[in-house]
Amino acid sequence: MLEKMMKTRLFAWVDERTGAEAIIKSQLTEYPVPKNLNYMWNFGSLALLVLVLQILTGIFLAMYYKPSAALTMGGYTVAFDSVERIMRDVNFGWLIRYMHAVGASAFFVVVYMHIGRGLYYGSYKGPRELLWIIGVVILLIMQGAAFFGYLLPWGQMSFWGATVITNLFGALPVLGEYLQQLLRGGFAVGDPTLNRFFSLHYLFPLLLVAIVGGHVHALHVVHSNNPEGIDVHGDDQKINFHPYYTVKDAFGVGIFLTIYCYVIFFNPQMGGYFIEVDNYVPANNLQTPPHIAPVWYLTPWYTILRSFESKLLGVLMMGGSLAILFLLPFLDRSKVRSARYRPVFKQMVLLFFVCVIVLGYCGHSAPTPTLKLVGQIATAYYFLFFFALLILPKFEKTKPVPDHI
Amino acid sequence: MTDQADQSRRNFLYVAAGGMGAVAAGATVVPFIGSMFPAADTLAAAKTEFDVATVEAGQLVVIQWQGKPVFIVNRTEEYLKQVDGHDEMLKDKNSTHIEAVRADWITPENLKYRSIKPEYLIVVASCTHLGCIPLFKPTAGRKEWGESVPENWPGGWHCPCHGSLYDISARVINGSPAPDNLHLMPYTYKTETQVVIG
Repeated sequence: MLEKMMKTRLFAWVDERTGAEAIIKSQLTEYPVPKNLNYMWNFGSLALLVLVLQILTGIFLAMYYKPSAALTMGGYTVAFDSVERIMRDVNFGWLIRYMHAVGASAFFVVVYMHIGRGLYYGSYKGPRELLWIIGVVILLIMQGAAFFGYLLPWGQMSFWGATVITNLFGALPVLGEYLQQLLRGGFAVGDPTLNRFFSLHYLFPLLLVAIVGGHVHALHVVHSNNPEGIDVHGDDQKINFHPYYTVKDAFGVGIFLTIYCYVIFFNPQMGGYFIEVDNYVPANNLQTPPHIAPVWYLTPWYTILRSFESKLLGVLMMGGSLAILFLLPFLDRSKVRSARYRPVFKQMVLLFFVCVIVLGYCGHSAPTPTLKLVGQIATAYYFLFFFALLILPKFEKTKPVPDHI
Repeated sequence: MTDQADQSRRNFLYVAAGGMGAVAAGATVVPFIGSMFPAADTLAAAKTEFDVATVEAGQLVVIQWQGKPVFIVNRTEEYLKQVDGHDEMLKDKNSTHIEAVRADWITPENLKYRSIKPEYLIVVASCTHLGCIPLFKPTAGRKEWGESVPENWPGGWHCPCHGSLYDISARVINGSPAPDNLHLMPYTYKTETQVVIG
């Protein structure tokens, strides 16, 4: 198909002026990929797909969404009403909004799987350190974009979530108060906050597109890791990205879209996990809901925040828990990449995954003394994992790695 | 490997997979483009009610219907006489271009008045050239209007944007850039004076 297209005169005309053929060959039809990638390697292309879906649905939602906390004649705010109007009056508005809201959660599911795969198979290790670091930047921007977007419906969860998170910055000494006012555009979360969050919610995806471009470029320079975690040389160990992995990615897309559509059409709120029930109550700055929690994808970090008695320490540790991801390639000095050949690391990283899930569960639940203790233990392990990697290579007896795949 | 491939089977699979993909992509476009058409509440606001008794004799008021400006004129006896006598100046004196679909209340009797009740003319106030709102210049002749209207001016509207002219029944006059008469719309009288537009 592609080969036929590349033989046409039109293509030759374009190629002469753009070098399209060389690009297609080096990036697709002759881009070498290890032949043994498993299905965990599907999540990168899925993340790209969800990014495109989010941008597309977001553009159409922005045609009807109005970022204003002014009151309407009905006594609700313009922003809240405009979201409800999208749900009730705009043609297919319900579908596009659910695609966007479910898409936000889907984005994090896919990206967390992608990150987990990178951790397990040692994809962050040399020569892929920068690839990993760019990936962490993408994660942070995604979390920012998700946070800004969550304020827009101007429901109770939107309002109080934004209040809590902007208050975090107030904990920082000296500059905290100014930083807080800078984010809010006032002394409390209000109309100016809503307006600028909408602007930033539109800006961040643009940044994402640019940085994702950098991530893919960096990947195509150092090439994909593989489940064995070894460097692959020789043509018999590699296959071309197109058609082999385009087909495999397309199959993954089919599975993903099936699940995505199931959630959109049959369970768009996902029992309050994807869209929290309290967010269908319009924002009220004089009454906090009885239990507030961030959406599931931010809860692990929220638990880390809650685990410390000092406000400032909690904020710093939460920031540190994300910042430490940048250091991972330099903390772990083991020569062996894949957990398949690192028996101790394998147990540690699997426990780390469990620990993040436990942190997420604690953050989503109302605080109790037991859960607080569980959260503190999980927080301790979260940091222990990274620092243990520093000394692990000294006593871990790795299994012999194969010399080819 | 290529030697053993069954090319016709492979081509069938290409076309089948590509075809399904194209159908899916096409179906995905429907809700997105569909969302850009007027929403249900916009469509629900498609009717406007107005009491024509509030318009004095000889007065013109502009109201909104579906977000568009609408002229409601209470035509005096004198204005109603100005409807006749200049048929040769009109591009489309019987309003055959557009009226049938827009106003099913039109009959041969009210054709020249272009209204259900002769005195109350109700038309969309957008010039059919490029949508400006024409100026109301109802009296015949140049006395009040000077050079802006022709010498044999029968009275009506003059569009300030590109000089289109309409008579007192809002029919376009020869030489205007506007192609059609000002548009009519469906309306009914709910009571003697209460009109429902749309």
